[in-house]
Amino acid sequence: MEKVWIAFAAALAIGLPAIATAWAQSRIGAAGAGTLAEKPELTGVIIILVAIPETMVILGFVVAAMILLM
Amino acid sequence: MIIRMAKVEIVGPKQDLLATLDLLHNRGIFQPDPQLLERVELARDDRLNTLVLNEHELHERSYFQGLYERVSILLELLPEATDAISPLQSLPVMDLVDELVDQHLAKVSDQDRILTEYRKEVEDLQRDLAFWQALEPLLADLPQDSNLELLGITIRDTRQLQALEELLQQRTGGRCHISSTTTTDGVLIGLVATDRRIAGDLRQALTDERIPEMSLPAELANLTLAERIAALHERLKTATANCRKIETQLLELSRRWRPVYRRALVWLEERLTLYRATATAYTTRLCFIIQGWMEQSEVPALQIDISQAFAGRVVLEQLAILEEDLDQVPVMLRNPGYFAPFEILSRLLPLPKYSSYDPTPLLGLFFPVFFGMILGDIGYGLILLIISVFLAKRFAPQQMASDIGKVLGVASLYTIFFGFLYGELFGNMGETWLGLHAFWFDRSKDILPMAVFALTVGVVHILLGITLGALADLRRHQPRKALLKLAMLIVVLLSLLAVVSWLYPQSWLNTGPLLIGVAILMPVMIAAEGLLAPLELLKTMGNIISYVRIMAIGFSSVLLAVVANRLGGMSGSIMVGILVATMLHAFNLLLGVFAPTVHALRLHYVEFFSKFLDLGGRRFEPWHKRPS
Repeated sequence: MEKVWIAFAAALAIGLPAIATAWAQSRIGAAGAGTLAEKPELTGVIIILVAIPETMVILGFVVAAMILLM
Repeated sequence: MIIRMAKVEIVGPKQDLLATLDLLHNRGIFQPDPQLLERVELARDDRLNTLVLNEHELHERSYFQGLYERVSILLELLPEATDAISPLQSLPVMDLVDELVDQHLAKVSDQDRILTEYRKEVEDLQRDLAFWQALEPLLADLPQDSNLELLGITIRDTRQLQALEELLQQRTGGRCHISSTTTTDGVLIGLVATDRRIAGDLRQALTDERIPEMSLPAELANLTLAERIAALHERLKTATANCRKIETQLLELSRRWRPVYRRALVWLEERLTLYRATATAYTTRLCFIIQGWMEQSEVPALQIDISQAFAGRVVLEQLAILEEDLDQVPVMLRNPGYFAPFEILSRLLPLPKYSSYDPTPLLGLFFPVFFGMILGDIGYGLILLIISVFLAKRFAPQQMASDIGKVLGVASLYTIFFGFLYGELFGNMGETWLGLHAFWFDRSKDILPMAVFALTVGVVHILLGITLGALADLRRHQPRKALLKLAMLIVVLLSLLAVVSWLYPQSWLNTGPLLIGVAILMPVMIAAEGLLAPLELLKTMGNIISYVRIMAIGFSSVLLAVVANRLGGMSGSIMVGILVATMLHAFNLLLGVFAPTVHALRLHYVEFFSKFLDLGGRRFEPWHKRPS
């Protein structure tokens, strides 16, 4: 039973940040697409901006890995 | 690196102003900055004023402006017969150009108007012909009756045709017939046949429904269909021949005169630019003064040029760059060989200020290392190396593609290097087939050591960023800010050591004294910077933790490669296995190029550069002649 809880905790640790990241990226992506229509020269900056919320899911992944390994 | 700039002042007698501006324009190394002169103070009776052109200069300027506009209109009307520019000396032929441009403009405008009319006629005739030719088979089906009126119409779509059929049957009591077909260019057309006596009502109904009827010139209206088509052919032939004739005449004129007018236009543009540039100069009763910026290394050569050209009457002097000028100094970045291609990455950011750093060398040093740390696979590295060599060689003339190739080349070398350290060749394929073992970490198993390594890289990178920030503050003569950054650096170090001593207790490393050090420094920082200081510390810690992505993305890349190999092995057939593994590895490689690039850049732009880079510099844009 304990294993189930550990797996569930790890799933939550990565799942919730993944949803949050997806939501943030959808908003940034939509705004970025609008920006690119007017200023295509900002492509690089927009790609970086879209990548910024990925920190959440990466940290979630680390926490999940630690839950499973420690 | 940021090129060292010089603030210079050019002073000379008023009558030499235009010639001086011309010389500066030709050299293309000087950027005027009239705002600098606002601070210059002179004697009461010798005040600075913006330059007011005298009557002769104003007359000349308006003459050149008018000529420029007329030549521009003429060049727009002339067809592009040649790209050549005449080598003629411009000033001596300007009177001739002035005389001829009106004649040519009148002739070309006239011919252009006639040509437009002919082209419209050709277009109309082609449409009419397509229409009547398409209707020809429909006419053959109708009875020969002198009381029959035929109307040709253009229909929007089949739905409109259906509605029209119902309407006309209703309005004429079933005494009309519509047949439809499609022309060669895809337009739906119809032929309405009805009794001549009710044709008027029918026309009104069509007008009410806004359905255009195909009209013909009066002289063609009474011809039979065959005669009508033949007449349209004849007219089309004549109109096309007329078009060709005028086009040939215009081309001939363009071939002869376009190079001359283009040369005149370039000269006029340069001359008018000079007049506009006079707005950047200030004058006293007798002299002019121009201040601006140029590359420090170019100053002596320009000083000699000006001195020789004006026999010492005009003087260029270098001035000291004051502290209040620092934000105004224009910025030019130039990097030597290895670092130059990395400018494509630094160009994604706004320009740094003059007192800050050029981020390009730092990107050149760290970006490929981070890329290699994340991807770290011999197989992927080799493929990327081949792609980068192809890009650099194949697209050598195209600066951007060649630069991307070079950056990718360096990154792929680090990928191969870290691939050896991690013992990875297409994931675990190297271990399975070649007995390759990790020299350092096995990323698929050693998750925690890899995370610690990534965090250590983050600590070094961020502390370097804080140190550079402190040095930049010292260069800007802001010792208080520099000291605060140093205090931050010590607090971060002590905090990290405290965490390490708590997680991995060592006899020589006590947590207590480290925390006392933090407790002493924090109030000092809060006193100096306010409540933002603890927030800044938290932000810095967050920045360091963000480097754990080096491990996380690398780990996912390894697992994807291992999955590709396993799925390939599970297929049961060698060919299918190779195909599946190749497809999955190709997908992983695509991700492997995109993800490390974006994340390595993000670590630089967001975490590293925020510690020291001051963005928002002005680009150095010297006056220069437009290449002709």
